[in-house]
Amino acid sequence: MDQALQVIFSATFIAAVLRVSTPILLPALGGLISDLGGVVNIALEGIMLTAACAGVLISVATQSEWPGLLAGVVMGVLMALVLAFFHLNLKADLILAAIAINILASGGTIFVVFLLTGDKGSTSALVSKQMPFVEIPIIKDIPVIGPIVSGQNLLTYVAFIAVVLVAVFLYRTRAGIHLRAVGENPEAARSVGINVRAQQYLALGLSGLLAALGGVYLSMGYVKFFARDMTAGRGFIALAAIFLGGKTPWGTMIAALVFGAAEALSVQLGNLRIPNQLVQMIPYVATLVALVIYALVQRQRAIARQRKFRQTQTVAVGS
Amino acid sequence: MPTASDSAAAPLIEMRNITKIYPNGVLADNDVSFEVRAGEIHALVGENGAGKSTLMKILYGMERPTSGQIYLRGAPVTIHTPHEAIALGIGMVHQNFMLVPSFTVAENIVLGTEPLRGAFVDKRAAVAATASLAQQYGLNVDPEAVVDVVPVGMRQRVEILKALYRGADVLILDEPTAVLTPQETHELFAAIRQLVNAGKTVIFISHKLREVMEISDRISVMRDARMVGTIDKRNADEHLLAKMMVGREVFLNIAKPPVQRGPVVLKVRDLEYATEAGVEALKHVSFNVYAGEIFGIAGVEGNGQTELVEVIAGLRAPLGGVIELEGKSIAGLPPRGVRQAGVAHIPEDRLTNGVALESSIQENLIVDRYEREPFTRGGFLRPSEVARNGEVLIEQYAIRTPDGALPVGSLSGGNMQKVVVARELSSRPKLLIAAQPTRGVDIGATEFMHEQLVKARNAGVAILLVSADLSEVMSLSDRLAVMHAGRIVAIFPTTNGLTEEEVGLYMLGTKTMTQAEIERNW
Amino acid sequence: MQATLPTTPSFDRAAERARVQRERRRTAMIDVLVTLGTIALALLVGFLVMLIVGKDPILAYSSLLGGPLSRTNRTGRWIEDATTLIILGLSVSIPFRARQFSLGAQGQMFMAAMIAAVIAIYVPMPPLVAVLLPLAAAMLAGFLVGLLPGLMKAYLNANEIVSTLMLNAVVVLLYDFLLTNVFTPPGSQSLRSEAIQAGSMLARFTTLLGVNLGRANLAVLFAAILVVAVWALLNRTPFGYEIRTIGANEKFARYGGINTRRAIALSFAIGGAIAAVAGVHLVLGVHQRLIPGIAAGLGFEGIVVALLARNNPLLIPITGLFYSYLRVGGDIMEQEAAVGTEIVLVIQAVIILLLTAQVLVNYVKSRSRPVRET
Repeated sequence: MDQALQVIFSATFIAAVLRVSTPILLPALGGLISDLGGVVNIALEGIMLTAACAGVLISVATQSEWPGLLAGVVMGVLMALVLAFFHLNLKADLILAAIAINILASGGTIFVVFLLTGDKGSTSALVSKQMPFVEIPIIKDIPVIGPIVSGQNLLTYVAFIAVVLVAVFLYRTRAGIHLRAVGENPEAARSVGINVRAQQYLALGLSGLLAALGGVYLSMGYVKFFARDMTAGRGFIALAAIFLGGKTPWGTMIAALVFGAAEALSVQLGNLRIPNQLVQMIPYVATLVALVIYALVQRQRAIARQRKFRQTQTVAVGS
Repeated sequence: MPTASDSAAAPLIEMRNITKIYPNGVLADNDVSFEVRAGEIHALVGENGAGKSTLMKILYGMERPTSGQIYLRGAPVTIHTPHEAIALGIGMVHQNFMLVPSFTVAENIVLGTEPLRGAFVDKRAAVAATASLAQQYGLNVDPEAVVDVVPVGMRQRVEILKALYRGADVLILDEPTAVLTPQETHELFAAIRQLVNAGKTVIFISHKLREVMEISDRISVMRDARMVGTIDKRNADEHLLAKMMVGREVFLNIAKPPVQRGPVVLKVRDLEYATEAGVEALKHVSFNVYAGEIFGIAGVEGNGQTELVEVIAGLRAPLGGVIELEGKSIAGLPPRGVRQAGVAHIPEDRLTNGVALESSIQENLIVDRYEREPFTRGGFLRPSEVARNGEVLIEQYAIRTPDGALPVGSLSGGNMQKVVVARELSSRPKLLIAAQPTRGVDIGATEFMHEQLVKARNAGVAILLVSADLSEVMSLSDRLAVMHAGRIVAIFPTTNGLTEEEVGLYMLGTKTMTQAEIERNW
Repeated sequence: MQATLPTTPSFDRAAERARVQRERRRTAMIDVLVTLGTIALALLVGFLVMLIVGKDPILAYSSLLGGPLSRTNRTGRWIEDATTLIILGLSVSIPFRARQFSLGAQGQMFMAAMIAAVIAIYVPMPPLVAVLLPLAAAMLAGFLVGLLPGLMKAYLNANEIVSTLMLNAVVVLLYDFLLTNVFTPPGSQSLRSEAIQAGSMLARFTTLLGVNLGRANLAVLFAAILVVAVWALLNRTPFGYEIRTIGANEKFARYGGINTRRAIALSFAIGGAIAAVAGVHLVLGVHQRLIPGIAAGLGFEGIVVALLARNNPLLIPITGLFYSYLRVGGDIMEQEAAVGTEIVLVIQAVIILLLTAQVLVNYVKSRSRPVRET
């Protein structure tokens, strides 16, 4: 137990939390935008997977990380736009279409990898470039904070900066305000001349962009190869993070960090001779428990609001 | 005061030969021509489904006409989106408010054309613009209040300001008084006159003839997707308009024999409820409904009537108080328990939630009894019995369909309505709750509904009637209660001699009966 | 009876009824055509993909489309796979009818496989009981694994997609853990449990018929029984009425007195119990022991089977046979033409996308509408 506590409070652990939160936070922010736009994106998982695969393959082909990043993002946005097209133009059920996109991504990536490498498991035979890690001058020399904040992957910084950008976008810019208006009352938005479909394309496109960054981070930040189904449910954990975060950017970030901590913990505990399958369960169990707790808290709050009214009313009548 | 001159003024708006056929084949407008002069208040009247809303949606760019042409100041224009309508100076205030609930009043008013400061939306400028606009037209609003919590009257002013903020010269008001008390309606009319004085033109959609006669300069009447004609108010009266609207004389008086009041069926005492959002909806509501009477509840919508109905029907759980049906408590029971105790419920949103559109007519008719004999026996459903029940009710209530196995969605609105009524009345209830029974239906269906309610009353059913239509609730009810802000503020032992103005004062909360007076009339 | 509402004389009910029935037959025909067209289009997409990646699509497609019938053991694989997919499709169709996106079939199968195997390996039983007891226990387990997300959805409104997928991950890891640490006998070279007792094994057609039909087995009977049972459940029981009504309009169902929460939770759970039968098929019929990833890759297969059949249990055998034909063909194609069997997943995704695209379907319908007499 002591060992476990030591692990949790070490700087390396906190740095690890930031590292493993990144591929949850990025798609979660994307999912948040899509949800507020009224078109919650269940295909985050597939989009991440596609981007992760495209990123590695292009990076291998060009022997440079930047074209890989670009290819990943382009493919991710493209997948999101396919989803948008089927839902918004062809009126396909959003959830079923998204499930199809996830299947397409899972099958398509393995198909392509097998075609190119003859190996179905991963591209580990191919050497990919990695997104750069950034040492921040001055900060890196501060004890405790230095090893946590500095030396992370570029995309980790991007993820946390994205929280601010998404918040500013949603609440301060015209596009963001229109997007939220569309999500809350599409008729109202339409009646003042806002193009509802365009806003929802934007919402899904942005969710694709952010999820794709998360995918590229998985294959070119975390590691240097693509492995089949390497997203391992992060796209869905991201969805849970949105709900738990109360559908706000900051709340979503905190929820992503909680899930990140659960996963980081599972990695650390793995060093303590606990069977690794049980340890690997932690993030999933955490998500399930979090879903339940969230729902219970919501209900409790509603009851409390009702009760509060009742008490004040009784007082008023009594007086 | 620039009133509409007789003939010299060129029309500001002219819609020529407009026809609209919806993709599902419904002919909403059939070769309709319509013109509006600058500076007039032009009423557009007709029954529900006559095509007036569709015509206005076409003018506002929300629907495209199948054929026809719109002219603005004599020049042909195409209006394909609300955006284009706004650019041409046409604004619309919809019947269902088009507001974003979590946004503030100011945010709603500037939505779509927000003032910018650099790359960002300038919220302070939005508040300032809202305040000055409100002052200019005498439309009082709180710019920084969140729309979700402001009263209905203010929401309507927000809608009007929204159109004005966009530079509207022509304002289309779609049934603006439907949710207002008589007093609020007077305020609205004052505001409309002020707008016209400021050079605006107003198109006023309504089917309330008295209001139309009060406010408008000219009146256009639609019926069955066609334009019947346009007349000057000076040459019109309510009877003439009614005749134009329905093509025959209408008798709005409802014939019913004197009340034969039986024992108490529904007893409600100290009923309390708050929504999950913490909004207090019902405060110590108490009343009785007796067998064989229609007990009406009047009130402006949003004063707790919806919650009252849903709490009694078991769709919401009360926080406190007593609900008894023939002496047995039904408070907090689920809908099935309430129904089995003998309550039937014609819900206000019946065309969306009183039926399942994809399910067959037969199956819609058994939702409250499918698990009992004869529909279920030995654990199995019996389709032959389900079909037989369907045939009987289709026949009895004259539901117009070739086959009871068809989905309810294949029926017209009026026939869907009959499906709901047929099911609820055939359950042989002790208490029938009818919520807004004639909302969204035409005069024919209204008559049908009224007759059914009176017939059930004469047969000894206790009827709780909730309606925002004051003339309906006053002419149907044997006794009348008024709700305001979640309370019963008055119970009248009879509706004889009551005036709408008198009831309106209670609806607004200006007058309240004492507790003792109310209790005397329980 | 209603004097005030005379039926319009022009309304000829019998003629209208005949017209409606004609219309209905025509719609059904179009549905079939749309489905077949969708499948053809999806296969074409797969064909084009192979053309683009420079594979020989003719060779690939002849293995894909001819493979399962080229040898009896391959046909056996088809029957075996179809059994699983039909059961899975039936399992999914119940929550889908209630418009609940339960994606928990994978976890339910793994859990069921485990429970069935434990009993079939370790508990000595007389014949028949040796099959029925593991089956019943596994179905109970599947029921419970389905019930949990069902309760979460019905009573807490927790997103069922997230909860079922998370639960799948947990169950699969648990399976892996127990297989590694408990079920694999000490000293065993490979990761697998002992074989189940002979009495628990579902007889294979190879032994019954003397033809090499691989591992196809009597679980086909389970599938056949379930087709009828699920049809009866949905169309001939009050519970089925509840499910269908909730799927059509949940608020209406609640208003009408249906206990919607109970019915929704049960739809998940019954779906789970049926998915469990697929897991039992894998353990008692196909593998006759626990192996790693026993139900891997079957997660979403039930969805396409159910969707193709429009959630109609009577059509699910047809769509299940069709889709497993493609899957087995895909495996053969991979061996013979070196084209990854995952192309079948791509085809599956295209089928789902096209079938759910209302505009496309309606377009086809409107184009095929005959000229109205009126």
